[in-house]
Amino acid sequence: MVEIGHFALVLAFALALVQAVLPFLGAVTANERLMAVAGPVTVTGFALTALSFAALTHAYVVSDFSVANVWENSHSLKPMIYKVSGVWGNHEGSMLLWVLILTFFGALVAAFGRNLPATLRANVLSVQGLIGAAFFLFILVTSNPFARLVPAPIEGRDLNPVLQDVGLAIHPPLLYLGYVGFSVCFSFAVAALIDGRIDAAWARWVRPWTLAAWVFLTGGIAMGSYWAYYELGWGGFWFWDPVENASFMPWLAGTALLHSAIVMEKRSALKIWTLLLAILTFSLSLLGTFLVRSGVLTSVHAFATDPSRGVFILAILTFFIGGSLALFALRSAALTPGGVFHPISREGALVLNNLFLTTATATVFVGTLYPLFIEAFSGDKISVGAPFFDMTFGALMVPLLVMVPFGPLLAWKRADLYAATQRLFVAFGGALLVVLAVLAVVDGASVAAALGIGLAVWLVLGALTDLALRAGIGSVGPGVALRRLAGLPRSTYGTALAHLGLGLTVLGIVGVTSFQGERIVAMRQGDTAEIAGYSLRFEGMRTVKGPNFTEDQGIFALGTTAGRDLGEIVSAKRIYPARQMPTTEAGIRTFGVSQLYVSLGDVTSDGGIVVRIWWKPMVTLIWFGALVMMAGGGVSLLDRRLRVGAPAARKRRDKVAVAGAVS
Amino acid sequence: MFFWIAAALLTLGACLSVLLPFARRAARAAHASEHDLEVYKDQLDEIERDHGRGLIGQAEAEEAKAEIGRRILRLTGSSSPTDPAKERSGTAARFAAMAAVLAVPVVSWVGYAAVGSPDLPGQPLEARLSGNPANNTMEELVARAERHLAANPDDGKGWDVLGPIYLRLGRYPEAAKAFSTAIRLEGPSAGREAGLGEAIAAQADGIVTVEAAAAFNRALALEPKNPKARFFLATLKAQEGRLAEAAEAWSALAADSAADSPWRAAAEQAVAEAQRRLAEGPAQPSGEGPAGPSAEDVAAAETMAPADRTAMIETMVAGLDERLRQNPADGEGWQRLIRSYVVLGRKDDALEALKRAGEAFPADTQEARAIAALAAELGLVKTE
Repeated sequence: MVEIGHFALVLAFALALVQAVLPFLGAVTANERLMAVAGPVTVTGFALTALSFAALTHAYVVSDFSVANVWENSHSLKPMIYKVSGVWGNHEGSMLLWVLILTFFGALVAAFGRNLPATLRANVLSVQGLIGAAFFLFILVTSNPFARLVPAPIEGRDLNPVLQDVGLAIHPPLLYLGYVGFSVCFSFAVAALIDGRIDAAWARWVRPWTLAAWVFLTGGIAMGSYWAYYELGWGGFWFWDPVENASFMPWLAGTALLHSAIVMEKRSALKIWTLLLAILTFSLSLLGTFLVRSGVLTSVHAFATDPSRGVFILAILTFFIGGSLALFALRSAALTPGGVFHPISREGALVLNNLFLTTATATVFVGTLYPLFIEAFSGDKISVGAPFFDMTFGALMVPLLVMVPFGPLLAWKRADLYAATQRLFVAFGGALLVVLAVLAVVDGASVAAALGIGLAVWLVLGALTDLALRAGIGSVGPGVALRRLAGLPRSTYGTALAHLGLGLTVLGIVGVTSFQGERIVAMRQGDTAEIAGYSLRFEGMRTVKGPNFTEDQGIFALGTTAGRDLGEIVSAKRIYPARQMPTTEAGIRTFGVSQLYVSLGDVTSDGGIVVRIWWKPMVTLIWFGALVMMAGGGVSLLDRRLRVGAPAARKRRDKVAVAGAVS
Repeated sequence: MFFWIAAALLTLGACLSVLLPFARRAARAAHASEHDLEVYKDQLDEIERDHGRGLIGQAEAEEAKAEIGRRILRLTGSSSPTDPAKERSGTAARFAAMAAVLAVPVVSWVGYAAVGSPDLPGQPLEARLSGNPANNTMEELVARAERHLAANPDDGKGWDVLGPIYLRLGRYPEAAKAFSTAIRLEGPSAGREAGLGEAIAAQADGIVTVEAAAAFNRALALEPKNPKARFFLATLKAQEGRLAEAAEAWSALAADSAADSPWRAAAEQAVAEAQRRLAEGPAQPSGEGPAGPSAEDVAAAETMAPADRTAMIETMVAGLDERLRQNPADGEGWQRLIRSYVVLGRKDDALEALKRAGEAFPADTQEARAIAALAAELGLVKTE
């Protein structure tokens, strides 16, 4: 089984080469049959990669330690969910997941892209094949997950304990679905450049793919943030760590791409810019892979690093980014630019959005890479931390967030800014009231915090205003308005939900950074600590044995300061004997959208233990907002108007429409 | 065999996927502009729908429709439908396709030959541990025993068997646990106590700790002639600097042991070493360097033929020599090396080592003086 998977991987590499070459030749020579090779080869390549992935997963499930990768990252006593998620909890396996998703998306384009213009489809699949071939080669040469061990050891070295968490089952697959999803947009962009023309169908395809990739990436980043929050025991949700930034840059660029793709689909404008953004977004995804996997950065994501891998990924990076940008420089002039528009219009607003988002991306880029360059050239270690990003990124975000509610209210082509402002009066009034209320009611709140909360409320109310205005609430009767509300296109709901989710996330971030309470106390059995109206009494420690770890649990009786009993909170420190590594398991209790977070520190000399307690108001809104954004993306994705036009005969019309609605 | 059949079938399938389109009749592909036109028609429908639902006003709808109309006009103006018959003759294409179909098996089989190990079957843990024990490796047998003991932790006999095996495999903490569990379940015996002592000493890099000494003493109480306990307790004496007593104890052990007992050889060797150190005169401050062979080495030496033992000593000396080449700033190391060469009768090597030691330390340092004193004592240099 193992070696069949191994062989399937090599075979998939061979097919990826065919997929890269034949359809491209077909497109160049206008040969229908060569172009048609792309479809079956892509689907077969996916099937082989899936077989290979299944073989590796099987080796993990049955603890086949004759596979070096299984021996390095698994343990026979590990719970089954971590055996399976351990498949991608390491460098080799995660790269296999990467190509699995890549070939899966290729197969989707092949399966649903029958109605794309033939040369476009052939070129897209060819570029996908080329990316696939590069990564298959990378896997086979530098990071083969099927390397064998003779004789087979009897027990594995266990998975990094920090990764033994449900988060590992969700975070990397989502993130990869996002990263790799942008590869499809990239392939479409390069295909358009090769073709020298941008079809009308192009925009209709790029938008859903961007949207899907963006939804997954949003989920992946949010999940990673929540995972770091509860697992690392520091109570932080974002650290401006280079690895986080590596995933955040494609997200920012992807968000820009999402918006410019709308202009392109609706108005045929910003074509060339959208193309460039598609290239940049995937390039940033590749850069993220390089930063994380080359050993340039040390973090929990780096796994075992190996310089030869770094050089290989750098070569892939240079080839694809350099190649696509060179192609862009050569061919973009040949593309026909799109429609024109007035600066004050929906298009104009979206351009402004793009300017801010790309500048923000550049800021994060500089903040992430500058220290690396300094270190490479002068050997000095400098740290660009949260203050830099707060100053630059934060400063860019505030005006962008202020403008968000205006965008959807502006008309296409030319709009009336004054009218839009008037319509937002209610939202503005609401936000202002909240600011005043925060200043008056919450004692000691700074003006900045109040304004931040106001900004978040402005975003939420602005999103709702858009829906209310489109339904005509206030101008028509409630019955009509309700009917209209139900009849709104899904993409309108998508926009509103995504902007509303953004508002919730901002609310969470501002709330927790401005109003959180922190206490670090050394507690002995029976001691009580109070925070934000709650009291915690330390009941003592107990030792619990898990399947492959032992856990020292601190038990805390939770109550209100008024004396009401709220049960207990258990916070623990674990030790995994196979790797002799400790982890923290924070005790978290959720009250509404706020959380009480208890983390255990070191044992003090007098027999007590250092306990860190945080009161985190509104913290869950950060991730709940991300979920709402994802829901917005999902709803927008379901909009049936995303159907791609196919030159079908009249009588086949209805069938196509149904297929479009389903896909 | 199964693997080769599966690999052949997969390859066949992959080749077929390349060939598939050539088996079909080529469908006439629509020109790209037809696709565009369809998209624009869809957009017109969409505007109608939005207008119908009252989402956009009459004027807006008109304007949008006009815009799309302009796009359709641009499209029809620029399009020059290509004739599908103009498709290039298939020769080059067929050649490319043939090359691709051949490349798939060639690349995959050559590539797999380079990275794969087709003869290696999968080894699921469960199957390895439940098959015929005769096919198992030592490690697997230990794992089976461990599983058995995890399920039946009160099987003292099992722990009894496992203890010495752990010792041999160098898994000292587990060995100590196995011996003490066996003692708890089966009652103390000289063998178990001595094994426990050895495991504890091995964990401490061969130093007989208080805990280990207690175990050895318990073993002696149960069996006054237990050779292992006697050997290690003598080592403890040497460790404490009471070399004469240690040598005496080792000599007694050697005298008591049968001629073919491994303990005899080990004890004799230890006596020789102790006497050598005694001959060196006043005990030199023994630094952090290991005082003698570690328990591990002794355990290994116990079971060795004399030729092998000499080979092991030679290896250890060579290792020391190499280490001093890398890191010459180790005065005690040089003394040990020079002495070893003299003991082994390799005088030339000893002189060479002395010369290198002289290069490592300036003449008036303490280390240089100590080395010079040693050289004089061993008769390597003539003193005036």
